[in-house]
Amino acid sequence: MNVGSIRFRLVVWYAGCLTLIFMILCALLFLNLRQFLERDLQLAELRRAHQVVNTLLARVPRISEDAVGPQVKDWYEPELNNRFIRILRANGTVIYESGPPQSGSFVPAQVPLPKNNGQTEFSEKLKVGNDKTLLIAGLYFPNKRNATYIIEFGELLDPVETMLDHVFLQLTLAFPLAIFIITAGGYWLVSRALRPVEQITSAAEQITQHNLGERLPVSQTGDELERLSLSLNHMITRLDDAFQQTNRFLADASHELRTPLTILCGELEELTNDARLDPKQRERTFSLMSEALRLSKIVEQLLMLSRLDAGEAIVEWRQFDLAELVRSTAEQMNLLAEDKNISIRGNASEAVLIEGDRSRLKQVLVNLLDNAIKYTPAKGSITWAVRRSDNRAVLEIADTGIGIPAEALPHIFERFYRVDKARSDGESIGLGLAIAKSILTAHGGEVEAESTPGKGTCFRIRLPILKPALPLAVKTAT
Amino acid sequence: MRILLVEDEKKVADIVERGLKAERFAVDVCHDGRSGYELASAFDYDLLILDLMLPEMDGTEILTRVRKKNQEVPVLILTARDAMADKVKNFESGADDYLTKPFAFAELLVRVKALLRRGPVNRGNVLRVSDLEIDRITQQVRRGGKKIDLTAKEYALLEYLATHPGRVFSRSMIIEHVWDQSFQGLTNIVDVYVRHLRSKLDDPYPVKLLRTVRGSGYTLEEAEA
Repeated sequence: MNVGSIRFRLVVWYAGCLTLIFMILCALLFLNLRQFLERDLQLAELRRAHQVVNTLLARVPRISEDAVGPQVKDWYEPELNNRFIRILRANGTVIYESGPPQSGSFVPAQVPLPKNNGQTEFSEKLKVGNDKTLLIAGLYFPNKRNATYIIEFGELLDPVETMLDHVFLQLTLAFPLAIFIITAGGYWLVSRALRPVEQITSAAEQITQHNLGERLPVSQTGDELERLSLSLNHMITRLDDAFQQTNRFLADASHELRTPLTILCGELEELTNDARLDPKQRERTFSLMSEALRLSKIVEQLLMLSRLDAGEAIVEWRQFDLAELVRSTAEQMNLLAEDKNISIRGNASEAVLIEGDRSRLKQVLVNLLDNAIKYTPAKGSITWAVRRSDNRAVLEIADTGIGIPAEALPHIFERFYRVDKARSDGESIGLGLAIAKSILTAHGGEVEAESTPGKGTCFRIRLPILKPALPLAVKTAT
Repeated sequence: MRILLVEDEKKVADIVERGLKAERFAVDVCHDGRSGYELASAFDYDLLILDLMLPEMDGTEILTRVRKKNQEVPVLILTARDAMADKVKNFESGADDYLTKPFAFAELLVRVKALLRRGPVNRGNVLRVSDLEIDRITQQVRRGGKKIDLTAKEYALLEYLATHPGRVFSRSMIIEHVWDQSFQGLTNIVDVYVRHLRSKLDDPYPVKLLRTVRGSGYTLEEAEA
């Protein structure tokens, strides 16, 4: 998973925030519950204390002080109920104290006397035994006869603790599940929200200089993504316009240059034939003319490039066998190679059907073979091979020529790039390989070069294949 | 020989006119399509040279109208456009040859002469130039009765030159006919093949048939008696 992706970050943030909120809520719930339950217990105890005051102690001395204890014991059965009850006078004399509880969890006699802090009601928590807490609540009751009684009721917090433990356990169990649901839901939601972005991205990746006429899909949802795809489309339109303008300009310029070039060449041609020129002047005129011809060639090739860029140069589109085309072209150029004592050999084990403009692709082959012959010293060799690979037609043309320096290799398909700038022999303009590349690009193909200086160069062309390998026609029995 | 040149670019027209006149052709020049068409229909020309982009009536239009009346007159198209579709369209309208600007005058001249002397194409099965004999059916070449072995390309080149003995063929014309458009610009291939052809055809014999015309091209010429 890409940790830098928006999807990942959104899910992490979303899940993190929700987890934090969930944790805080749980903690608050837990603490409040504990407080509420303890308070509830405390109030119940106080209520009992008030009951004792109202029904018994307020009536002292009409009923005897000594009768209070047995009556309380009778009502509340503190030993059975694991309760603590104690009635004191203010001076500390115990009137009644409940016996040890059935559970034996605390010893009533060890419960310290309450500290008088002047309040009529009080409560405290007392640790007794192992991890047990006794909640004691009580009140001071001043009798009309100026005798003050202290009534204490106590109860173990066990049921509260049990319940809280239970709640805690349930929350703990629910927590990972909740996190999982939150994360999965978040992931689903984010993926759903980002799907149009992915569609836009993959569509945008398909758009290159050569299919600027295409547009991205626009989801008519009225949301930010619709706006994004619309504005991207506007940008592509502007790019398209700019490209077309450049192409049109290049085409118009090359076109406009032709007439003056015709005049220039024509005048110079006439001049070179002028018998009145002395040899020096004639030589200069020849040099002028060769430059004018070179200029014409550049204009021609630029026009060709601009038409390829505009997608106009590929006119016929039909299927043919690449292997056959290479074989026949190599054959037609064989004599050029033989003339330099270079051999051209090649093989193609099977027909490789492709679709395209045969003459334009032939132009590419002529260009590559011509280069190979030009840059291979005498007695060298040129080999070609056509094969299928991963449903692409692959053509390799390798020579044993002078090679291309490593620093020049990445640039050889650039326009006007020349490997050896010093040797501008007037022949090469530096557009041949650029044109070859443009032709191949227009066919959905590509070209690359490998080279070892001093050893040779290999050009590799890949083109879309028309059909996967078909079994050969049924062989008749021999 | 009377030639009509319709070209709106005055300087280009001047150069072509001067050049053709120096070759002793009679040349009429006009600079717009309408008067070009009027001249073409009024007089009997031996050749029309038409620019495509003309004021008032374009070259294709003139060509179409002329062809309705006159199927015979050869037409050479001059143009600054070289889109393949254009070329096909004009050949369909009846153009005989097509030259893209900028062109060398020598090239134009070779093509003009070729069109004027087009005459009856030798469609016979056997072509004869001096003591050279080319059998088009068996593709066998004999000189003085002795068989000469040629490769397929050498034969195609020789046969093309032999269709019109004495006519000069430019390197571009040879490439267009013997190879194809893809080899355009690779003119040295013609020189190499001519050299090889010559070594088989002429070197063993005292009379040379295959002649280089400086600055123009090649010709296969009957030895002057």
